[in-house]
Amino acid sequence: MQAQARFFDGESGQRLDVDLAVDTAAETLRLTHPDLPMGSQYWPLDAIRALADHARTDQLVLSLRADASLDSALIRTARLTVDDADMISILTRLCPDLRRRDVERGTGRKVVTRIGLAVGAVVLMIFVILPAMANTLATLIPIEREVAYGKTVVNQMERFLGGKRVGGLACTNPAGRAALDKMTDRLTEAGDLTYDLNIAVFDHKMVNAFAAPGGQIVIMRGLIDRAKTPDEVAAVLAHEIGHVEARDTTRNALRAAGSAGSAGLLALVLGDFAGGSAVVVVAEYTLNASYTREAEAAADVFALNMLDASETDAEALATFFDSLDGIERAMPDLPVYLSSHPETIERAEAAREFAKAQGRTSPILNDEDWAALRNICKDSPEKDTAEDG
Amino acid sequence: MSAQIQGQYFGKRGPLFRLYIVTALLTLVTLGIYRFWAKTRIRKYIWSATTGDGDSFEYTGTGLEKFLGFLVAIVILAIYLGIVQMALFFFGLNLFVDPQTQGQELAQIGAIYLTLLAVLPLMLFAQYRARRYKMARSRWRGIRFGMENGAWGFAARALGYYLLNAITLGLLNPLATFKLEKYMADRSWYGDAQFEQTGRWQDLYAGMKHVFIALAIMIVGGILGFATGSPLLAGIAIFVGYIWFLIGLLYYRVYAFNYLTGHKILDGQVTFEAKVETGRVAFIVIVGTIIIGVLMAVIFGVMGFVFASSMDVFIGGGLSQPGAAPSALALVTSAVLYVLALLVAGGLSLVIITQPVIEHAVNNVYVHNADHLNTIQQRAADEGADAEGFADALDVGGAI
Repeated sequence: MQAQARFFDGESGQRLDVDLAVDTAAETLRLTHPDLPMGSQYWPLDAIRALADHARTDQLVLSLRADASLDSALIRTARLTVDDADMISILTRLCPDLRRRDVERGTGRKVVTRIGLAVGAVVLMIFVILPAMANTLATLIPIEREVAYGKTVVNQMERFLGGKRVGGLACTNPAGRAALDKMTDRLTEAGDLTYDLNIAVFDHKMVNAFAAPGGQIVIMRGLIDRAKTPDEVAAVLAHEIGHVEARDTTRNALRAAGSAGSAGLLALVLGDFAGGSAVVVVAEYTLNASYTREAEAAADVFALNMLDASETDAEALATFFDSLDGIERAMPDLPVYLSSHPETIERAEAAREFAKAQGRTSPILNDEDWAALRNICKDSPEKDTAEDG
Repeated sequence: MSAQIQGQYFGKRGPLFRLYIVTALLTLVTLGIYRFWAKTRIRKYIWSATTGDGDSFEYTGTGLEKFLGFLVAIVILAIYLGIVQMALFFFGLNLFVDPQTQGQELAQIGAIYLTLLAVLPLMLFAQYRARRYKMARSRWRGIRFGMENGAWGFAARALGYYLLNAITLGLLNPLATFKLEKYMADRSWYGDAQFEQTGRWQDLYAGMKHVFIALAIMIVGGILGFATGSPLLAGIAIFVGYIWFLIGLLYYRVYAFNYLTGHKILDGQVTFEAKVETGRVAFIVIVGTIIIGVLMAVIFGVMGFVFASSMDVFIGGGLSQPGAAPSALALVTSAVLYVLALLVAGGLSLVIITQPVIEHAVNNVYVHNADHLNTIQQRAADEGADAEGFADALDVGGAI
């Protein structure tokens, strides 16, 4: 069987119209042309590969398998274009690996390594670099900016909880406010605080309190309702002041902005159908949980010291934890720092231990003030009419 | 000694459509991972369908290297964007908070633009890298094309020219088009032979004429309509002007392609000529868009009807009735049909718009003094670390 084909040696742009001949005995394809070195070349049939996804069905472009190749596919640079229909069918029949895609040895390992490195780098980024940056930036950020951001967060929370306007949920009963201020003053008189505290009570049944950047603290009415003594409210308040002073929320917000930047990108490019956002959510949750544990423990220590300094019974923190024990764990509006059951018990134990070593203590509010605080959401002049649920 | 080569395109609708559907389904099944291989296979098809003097082009890229390059790019981008976001937050701009006041809203919009602006240089970088990768993975007669490193230089220049263009309200568009193409062309090689972009950027203004006419129609018509108190006249003028403007933009792109191709020289001897026709390209694009649009309207209309009638059964029959089962089935069927319809739309746009435009362009490109091509020698392979991973990650460059 003889035919003509176009040969390119992969070294020059010169085209050679070579004569082809299949030698079935030697299992080779012979290329002959006077300009070829020694006049001819022999291609082993089992080393011949056809280019994939070739548009022209009346044509076969052949190459030779290489053991190593600078190009991506493992083929040499020489090309042979066969147009002769008979020759195409013969070669298709005789070349055993014509359609084979050769893959370089060690490709699997390379792929696994690269995926590992990529995942490692992103994990390092989200769990180490961004948190470290957030720590540094949290101490550098000007207080006014923190306060402005904190107010935004509080307003947003208020709207989220059903407030129709800014200040719509705030409880402002004058006697109650005065009691709250008394409590705050007694807690804070012993030590200097970096931030001016701005403490609000929201008329909401949720048993919760939270801190926002720049000294913003919000206590929900539900928490005051559930507390058995004013000392319990004071304990929670001291805990939140601990968060404020440690700049926990600022740090969290910075870190969240950073990881949202990179994670958002991942979710975007991996596409939702690659489950990218699920991965991101899980990563963010794990990260948050581990941060929260550390920060909560530190805020507890801060709160205990603050209670001690103001001669308030530190056991109140423990009894408040105990009283929450009755609440179902699945309850969605449980504060984050109370949501993991075993830890709550541990933390209550720690508070009890601390309280044993305390000296003389007295209730933080007298009965009259405590009653006023419990009524802080009643007859609030500026508040929207309460919508209880 | 003045042989001329005319480009010839051999691609067919059927095989390319099949290739698109198969690779798109594989992409779906592999949760998106196969898209690197999908793009590579479609490129292999289109490259191999393009011939000069009977010799096909060859695309030697692989899906694997694109995938690995993408991994590299994504890590760098994740780190970069994380730091940018944190910095923006530090300076009081936050993307992730509900704005409360107008000032905050403005700041937030500013932050979004700053984020985009922070990515823009990377996108331009990616654009150059993508072209370089495609060149490095293209061959004709076994000889590689190639492009020199210069992506950051390109990004810097492109930023400068686009800024100039924005300041002058698009008046300097030809300058940007010409200079950026020259930057890339002058760094391009075929084997050991270098390309050169000759010509003058001012010459491209001739291609802007329909854009200017369209603007004139809109402005004059608008003023006349306003002066005579006839909103109808103004409306018609703006509508006609807008359509004219779109065609004018296409005309400019085709004109620039012809001009820039006609003024490229390879190795100081081989010259090129392009005779792409705006009318033909516009015809392909408009007819193709209408066909796909009508087809999709029909498919989604039928689907909506089927879905709605199955919902009737659901509501009428109640949960305990057998009528509930077909509605769940209808839900799944609609979802599958929806995905299939999108696949068909993508495949159709490839074979009745993209491919015919490529075909028309290839068939109208001529190479003069082609004998000199015989003397060109091979160039060394270009590894190209990221294999246009940045372009994939930032979605620069479109389908092919």
